[in-house]
Amino acid sequence: MMRLGWWLIRAQFLARRGATALSMLAIALGVALGYAIHLINDAALADFSRAMKAVQGEPDVVIAARDGAGHVPLALIDLLSRDEAVAVLAPVIETRVRIGDTPMLVRLIGLDPFSAAQLMPMLLPDQANDAMGRLLDGAVFASPALAAKVGADTTVIRGAARWQTHIGGELPAAPAGERLLVADIAWVQAHFGPREGVGEIRIRLHPETPLAAWRASWAPKLPAGIELRAAADNQARVSNISRAYRVNLNVLAMVALLTGAFLVFATQLTAVAQRSTQFALLGVLGLPPRQRLLQVLVEGLAIGVPGSAGGLLLGFGLATGFTRVLGGDLGGGFFSAASPEIDAQTLPAAGFFALGCLASLLGALYPAWLNRIQPLAQALKTGFAQRQRPGAGHALGRDLLLILVLTVGALALTRVPAIADLPLGGYAAITLLLILGIVSAPLATRALFGALARAWLPAPQKIAVQNILQAPLMAQVAASGLIVSFALTVSMVTMVSSFRTALDQWLDAVLPAPFYMRSKAVPLPAELLADLARPDSPFLRVERMAASSFSLDPQRPAVALLVREIDRRQPGARLPFSGAVIDVAPTEIPVWVSEAMQEVHGIAVGQQLRLPLLGRDVEVTVGGIWRDYARQFGAVVMSADDYLALGGHFEATDLALWPRPGQEAVAQSWLRGEAQRLGVEAAASGEIRELSLSIFDKSFAITHALEAAAMLIGLFGLAVTLAASIWLRARELATLAALGFDRAMLGRAVVLEGAMIAGIGLLLGLACGIGVGAILTEVVNPQAFHWRMPLRVPWTQVLPVAGLTLLAAMLASGIAARQATRMPAARILAGAQ
Amino acid sequence: MLSVTGLGKRHPGAARPLFSELRFAVGAGEVVALVGESGVGKSTLLNCIAGLEPADTGTVLVGPDAADMARLDEAAAAALRARRIGFVFQAFHVLPTLNVAQNIAVPLLLNGIDAAEHPARIEELLARVGLAGFGSRWPASLSGGELQRVAIARALVHRPSLILADEPTGNLDPRTADEVLSLLLERVRASHAGALIVTHSQHVAQACDRILALTPEGLR
Amino acid sequence: MDRRQFLLTPLLLPALATARPPAVAAYATPKRGHVLRFPADHGAHPKFRTEWWYVTGVLDAPRAELGFQLTFFRTRSGRAEQLDSPLAARQILFAHAAISRAGDRLRHAERAARTGLGASYSTSDCAVQVGSWHMRREGQGDGERLRLRAEDRVLGLDLTLTPTQPLLLQGDGGWSQKGTRPELASHYVSWPQLQVEGRWRVEEHSHAAKGHAWFDHEWSSEVLDRGSVGWDWIGINLDDGGVLMAFRIRDATGATVHAHACLREASGRIQRYASAELSFVPLSHWQSPRNGARYPVQLEIRFGQHAVRTRPVLDDQEIASRRPLPISYWEGLVELEGSLHGHGYLEMTGYAASMAL
Repeated sequence: MMRLGWWLIRAQFLARRGATALSMLAIALGVALGYAIHLINDAALADFSRAMKAVQGEPDVVIAARDGAGHVPLALIDLLSRDEAVAVLAPVIETRVRIGDTPMLVRLIGLDPFSAAQLMPMLLPDQANDAMGRLLDGAVFASPALAAKVGADTTVIRGAARWQTHIGGELPAAPAGERLLVADIAWVQAHFGPREGVGEIRIRLHPETPLAAWRASWAPKLPAGIELRAAADNQARVSNISRAYRVNLNVLAMVALLTGAFLVFATQLTAVAQRSTQFALLGVLGLPPRQRLLQVLVEGLAIGVPGSAGGLLLGFGLATGFTRVLGGDLGGGFFSAASPEIDAQTLPAAGFFALGCLASLLGALYPAWLNRIQPLAQALKTGFAQRQRPGAGHALGRDLLLILVLTVGALALTRVPAIADLPLGGYAAITLLLILGIVSAPLATRALFGALARAWLPAPQKIAVQNILQAPLMAQVAASGLIVSFALTVSMVTMVSSFRTALDQWLDAVLPAPFYMRSKAVPLPAELLADLARPDSPFLRVERMAASSFSLDPQRPAVALLVREIDRRQPGARLPFSGAVIDVAPTEIPVWVSEAMQEVHGIAVGQQLRLPLLGRDVEVTVGGIWRDYARQFGAVVMSADDYLALGGHFEATDLALWPRPGQEAVAQSWLRGEAQRLGVEAAASGEIRELSLSIFDKSFAITHALEAAAMLIGLFGLAVTLAASIWLRARELATLAALGFDRAMLGRAVVLEGAMIAGIGLLLGLACGIGVGAILTEVVNPQAFHWRMPLRVPWTQVLPVAGLTLLAAMLASGIAARQATRMPAARILAGAQ
Repeated sequence: MLSVTGLGKRHPGAARPLFSELRFAVGAGEVVALVGESGVGKSTLLNCIAGLEPADTGTVLVGPDAADMARLDEAAAAALRARRIGFVFQAFHVLPTLNVAQNIAVPLLLNGIDAAEHPARIEELLARVGLAGFGSRWPASLSGGELQRVAIARALVHRPSLILADEPTGNLDPRTADEVLSLLLERVRASHAGALIVTHSQHVAQACDRILALTPEGLR
Repeated sequence: MDRRQFLLTPLLLPALATARPPAVAAYATPKRGHVLRFPADHGAHPKFRTEWWYVTGVLDAPRAELGFQLTFFRTRSGRAEQLDSPLAARQILFAHAAISRAGDRLRHAERAARTGLGASYSTSDCAVQVGSWHMRREGQGDGERLRLRAEDRVLGLDLTLTPTQPLLLQGDGGWSQKGTRPELASHYVSWPQLQVEGRWRVEEHSHAAKGHAWFDHEWSSEVLDRGSVGWDWIGINLDDGGVLMAFRIRDATGATVHAHACLREASGRIQRYASAELSFVPLSHWQSPRNGARYPVQLEIRFGQHAVRTRPVLDDQEIASRRPLPISYWEGLVELEGSLHGHGYLEMTGYAASMAL
């Protein structure tokens, strides 16, 4: 029996090389994409956590100030150090500084070498030449990547604070790519603060300490503005950074895999149809019914196994190639640009292999079942029996009910909030919507072409319309493929175009000034600000902003705090609000939060919030919610006046600059010079806009490739199924030929039929696509990435694609018709093979 | 080899049964022709005997087995068919994707016969049907007569108790038809199987040992 | 685990101060005739460069072959003296705990921190802390006692030390000469024959503790002259209630540069012996497999009419590290035999590497 099965598979693959290879390729692509994403992300995360472990050590607990301006007080260190559960307590002050006048921003880590020796030994210099003593004496040590670039005597600058010091030597064990400086914590504290404490303390507990109980005993003793993070929180934080991005890429991989499943479906369905006589014969000769089912499943698997294996290889190749070219975050910008090592492990590979096989089995399931239930005697005589539709009235009611249920289900799912930060409801709604499109195809066909059937038409057209209205299985399959692929294409085009339009408008709103200067979270040097303020500077107006961050939830990435020179009565002049802006009472402190804050933390306009700022809880009122495409994890804007009134230091990191009229060119070259000297970024708003849009276009380039792939697969599915359906109707066509239809007439009938099927597919695909696009922009994007955008359908892109697809479908059916009518009618009618 | 008793069949919705209370037998080495006008139910009768269609009443016993084909489920009927019945069709139904030897091997595979025995049995049969050396040929390269010889070899290779033939010469020119018919008769008789041949051809019917005529009133 | 770890031994701590000329840090010098006042002088003397509170003891169970040691060192490194920061590493505290048992290997653990970041001391009484380890004096009069606590994964000490005898001010009223120059001296207070109660633990096995201990508190700024490489020191609680302390400072050839001994008999009568009245004679050596250093673990000490010998309960009581600097010393429990009998600690430094104090 095995041997017979093998003969049949081999014969099948040989007979339909093209279709089989394409199905394999589709499965391989799905597996490859998913596997590559997994490998790259895994490697990037491993790389990231390796670097983090080297710099952070592996503390059990971190106790840290929740915002940059806060600190962990010395009294708390004293208290904690006396706790017997604490094995190592390592205080750290970390800040970003500029080295001298070089354009270099580096991390400066102030540590206590006594505790660092146990927790972060990789951040310590070698013991030769009294390095330890010199560290305590105020020398700084540089990571290898940095040591090569700095001289012996150097000035470390942060804002107005300067520290004249010297490089004591290298940190031989520091992570290779990191640019960092290490100094004794006291020296960092003396020059850059915080005055009465440290930034954070990293704690290793005695191994037998129950972490939860220990945490619970300390949590109430911690002052406001201090948070306690366990190691697991840190991991969650790291994983949260790239999670949505990762999951969305994986969904794309799933789509590719499902397309593969669809191709297997189309291939196997036609394979079953074409070989129905053969299978019937085998059945008559005594092939058990179970075997007829299994054979088709095994054939599906025979596509899936090599496809998946090829996919694993391809995925590994893709992963290696991509990390070399783009770095570990696929251009997502979450991790450092270092290219991590790809490490292929058995279990995930087996998982993706199984997934590919599963997809191919899934595709073969219905054809296999169809093969199983073919009535033998009839199939032997007349070939594949396409299931005829039972009484139309009954079907109509059932279809309408199904459509209603699916619509309600999809709508309900769009209301489901994110589950574990993932828009699972949205994805489910998309699935239902696609099913809805497929299910409504017969109904739409009748609604559109029903009237045509009653009208007078030339014979070929009449035949085509009649045929379509019969809604044979093959036509439905062909239409379904097109519905799904066109819907996915339309939805992606819609999403990208909506996003781009929204980004464009957003850039207009957030870039009111002609020039900008930015120094990533490091205060700009005081001299620069002084120069700008001089009466002879080429700038009329300078608006300052200080960007820092604070932690709202230990498991989530930090939220940006943007302290800006902003008019609290008119925040709308600077922020692109997406909803109502309220006036906040003068006694209260207004903040304006980004949409991500609304999504992630459920914050609403007018709400009172307690934010961990300046080492304490500060009561603020949300004055409005603005759109922010720059900071995915949320941002809070506060006016500089309020921040100063709270006792904060306002050290500008970002500047918006308006040049004096007529001095634009002078201003620009002055800015460029300063930026180069200080290692900060300066750009005209036009450049920022161009750069942003080009980054956007680049990062979405891959979706265009996917759209093209989806359309090709849809078209291919259409061609395969149309060809099969025509082939199956060879007898009918031959009869028509015998009745006097010439080839051209037959061709016209078939092409019209193909056009009508494609038309239905495209129409429903378009409707579904817009629906899916709406779900992507209204549900998936806000839930996964926390940004919103208005829906915009790019008709100028969608309609030409639809037109081309229609033409391609007609072409495909034309070719199929020519092949079908090439066989002598007499031979077909005689019923030979 | 075949024993039919009380067999009756009515199509759903039909006013009267297609046939009822049919009773006949086919002995070892006996070739029986089944004739009758179109639509009288010859094919349905054949399907009922092969277990491809359920009968309403009666029993069908094939070969030495006590199992009643008319009462078996699909899988058991398939197994019994594979073991006891050989088929020859008007349209030959030789699998185009398998070569001649592979086509003939199909019943052996379905019966789980040791692959080591296949070549000898197939070669022997090919010689008997006049196709010695045709084993590796592909069906597309064969004539109609040759295809039907392959089909006859396939019907006999697993030594069935009963051969069911449906218009075995219907698609052949008269000369080839004669050759194929005498080959079929000769092989069936030599194999000691029973055969039931459905035919419209008086010529074919005359060549058989016995003729059963199916009429709306029953067998004659 | 292949972690690069600093060697934070008391011997390295003074080394932290070496590179800098002493002019920058104005260290105080021990003054002869300075009258010590207690409890204030039990506390820290941060103006001095080096200070230690040093408790060694012998526990009874099962026999007197189990010793413990808990030491808190303070060093004023001379680093970051001018730095305006509450975190400046001006005062660094180090704590070292060890348990020696016959038939076992030496168990030890250590802690280090600067004041303000996990360590503290009092200047008004004995109260020092590094992490959760601490040593402090409590109570007055009859209730006076020392509390010691040091818990680590490998060992644990939780002890109460009750005085049975008065303080012993070494040298001249607590001014102890260490060399020929007058600056080479320390303030040195001993409190021998302390009654020990509490618990001791090696790994997870905890036991009741009972025995006798010796407390030393010594502070100085300079003790080793150029040419001196290390010292040999003993502090012994004699079985009859008497106490014996003796030390010598050696040069590179092993010759004695300076020596001193003090015997307080059970009656309270104190006899002191100067360099000339004292000799140290190695009887047998133990060679360290780690660094090849040869320690005279059996040492004969002759003073006056006395001749005593040390017998270590364990040969290998060396505290050694190869990285980052190969610095090692021997510090362990010995039995004293000869004309006097008792148990106590022997400390031998400068055998494995020259002491650059």
